[in-house]
Amino acid sequence: MAELRFAGVRKDYGSIRALRGLDLDVADGELIVLVGPSGSGKSTALRAAAGLEDVTEGTIHIGARDVTRVPPAGRNISMVFQSYALFPHLTVAENIGFGLRARGVARVEAAGRVETAAKVVGCGELLERRPFELSGGERQRVALARALVREPDVFLLDEPLSNLDAQLRVHMRAELKRLHQRLEATMIYVTHDQVEALTLGDRVAVLRDGELQQLGPPDEIYRRPGNRFVAHFIGSPAMNFFPGVVHDGVLRAGPFEFSPVPGNGSLRDRQLEAGIRPEHVRVAPEAPGSPAEVQVLEVAGSETYVHLSANGDTLVARVPSQLRPEIGSTVWLSADADHLYLFDASTGDSLG
Amino acid sequence: MLRNTERREYAVMLAPYVIGIAVLIVIPAAITFGFALTEYDLIRSPRFIGLDNFRELWGDDVFHIAMKNSLMFIAFAVPLRLLGAVALALLLHKRFRGVAAYRTAGYLPTVVPDVAYALLWLWIFNPLYGPLNLALSGLGGPTPSWLTDPRAAQWAVIIMSLFTIGEGFIVAMATRQGIPSELYELGDIEGARPHFMFLRITLPLMAPTLLLLMFRDTIFSFQANFVPALIVTEGGPAPYATTYVPLFIYRNGFEYLRYGYASAATLTMFLATALIIYLQYRIVKRWRHAFVV
Repeated sequence: MAELRFAGVRKDYGSIRALRGLDLDVADGELIVLVGPSGSGKSTALRAAAGLEDVTEGTIHIGARDVTRVPPAGRNISMVFQSYALFPHLTVAENIGFGLRARGVARVEAAGRVETAAKVVGCGELLERRPFELSGGERQRVALARALVREPDVFLLDEPLSNLDAQLRVHMRAELKRLHQRLEATMIYVTHDQVEALTLGDRVAVLRDGELQQLGPPDEIYRRPGNRFVAHFIGSPAMNFFPGVVHDGVLRAGPFEFSPVPGNGSLRDRQLEAGIRPEHVRVAPEAPGSPAEVQVLEVAGSETYVHLSANGDTLVARVPSQLRPEIGSTVWLSADADHLYLFDASTGDSLG
Repeated sequence: MLRNTERREYAVMLAPYVIGIAVLIVIPAAITFGFALTEYDLIRSPRFIGLDNFRELWGDDVFHIAMKNSLMFIAFAVPLRLLGAVALALLLHKRFRGVAAYRTAGYLPTVVPDVAYALLWLWIFNPLYGPLNLALSGLGGPTPSWLTDPRAAQWAVIIMSLFTIGEGFIVAMATRQGIPSELYELGDIEGARPHFMFLRITLPLMAPTLLLLMFRDTIFSFQANFVPALIVTEGGPAPYATTYVPLFIYRNGFEYLRYGYASAATLTMFLATALIIYLQYRIVKRWRHAFVV
């Protein structure tokens, strides 16, 4: 195993800039998740680490080695693709052993290592089958076994769970985490799913338009988002945002009012944007608070998402499932200043 | 179960094809097979002679030569044509500047009418002013008498067939383009060298299509040498260096007016084609497992 380091990595496709100087250190044995919307550059970063894309500028190191210009085969990495990239004409055993055979490992030795790898991920009984005979989850396991059979320095995983159904995805997510804990392998995991990012990563790197927005442990990303984009992207349902106005010692943000104004007066002359997460919006059947009309209810089992309209502002509140206000009824909203996120309206930077 | 109205609709929709195939293929084929058992010269009515035509074919030296020529042609032309189609497909499946022009050039000879194509080659093969021998002598190579030397003439017909591989090329290219790029990226990461990738990824994944192309080309090649043999080499040089089964059938049927005999030869060619396809299938089935990594 080894650490992996991106230093000022830029990648241009013609006039399109996919990565704008990415600096990122992945520690030895760490699982880091690159998360971001489509076009954020997360897959480009992963493919650059694999050597499948040349970088325009900057360097990539694996351990002490500069691998920026080293072809993929020389980097001692392995990759799991979203499509799994299993060879349809080969059996599971041949698929797992493909890299060993390509590198000239003898048949007998390869067979032993294939068996071991297959057992680790729990597909030992599938070795003689072909990919078309496997379920999605089984294919996923085979792709993982193939990735670990060569004992690479770094594992690169490109949205490996996104082709699975919801239930299996949660199951495989946990298995992947267990596998990482057991192998203590350096892993980079790319996803657009923020729940996957938070639950899996030792650290999470949020990307947008080829730029790193924030890097930190999942908890920190969630509780202390560095800017409005991260605050909005991480968390489901997404954070509610309102323009913030400070007047007469009171901060008004949509239906909410906060007094005294947080930040010791430093906010007075700024264009603000205020954010409150749905779980921090208190919904009560009676005053005090500001009135809002219930528009839509989304029942999600243990909790309910209430879509509200208050004086032209729309917002979502996350409430316990036993609270079921009627659609069209008026409820009263309040929130604590402790749960208020403030951002500069023009730059989006956090002011918290 | 289909309802009656649905049945009627299907019948109406299928009718043009069924009628077309019946009138243009099935009935003529059946008549041909019937004629094979007769003596028929278009003037007198057919006379049933049992298997006499086949007995005569069995002892006919010209037919033996024609069948041998046809089999040799298939033995060389089919693999070379397939190789050409796959090579073009692998060269031109990626996008790059000017690729459309190359692809068109690869396909173009296939759409040239047979007779025009044959006349063009008559000029190319001309030993005195033909561009092929001019080029060969320029390079210091041999300058065969393409159309008068028996062995050279057989090669000439094979060479002509190697440029009409447009359909095979397009099908092979589409197949190659259908192989997911991730498989090659994975090969790159796993340290597979180009020949390993070709043998373990490209070839096995293209194999079903190539097989189909091979079967199709075998059937095609049995018949494809008719126009060149008729126009370019006229079945010669003497005695019968490029007389293939189709030309043999044509001469017996339309020049000697021996329809019954020509029909028997046609039926024999049909059976020979089927037999070769069957043998190819058997060989491929056994050979398939060689692909395992």
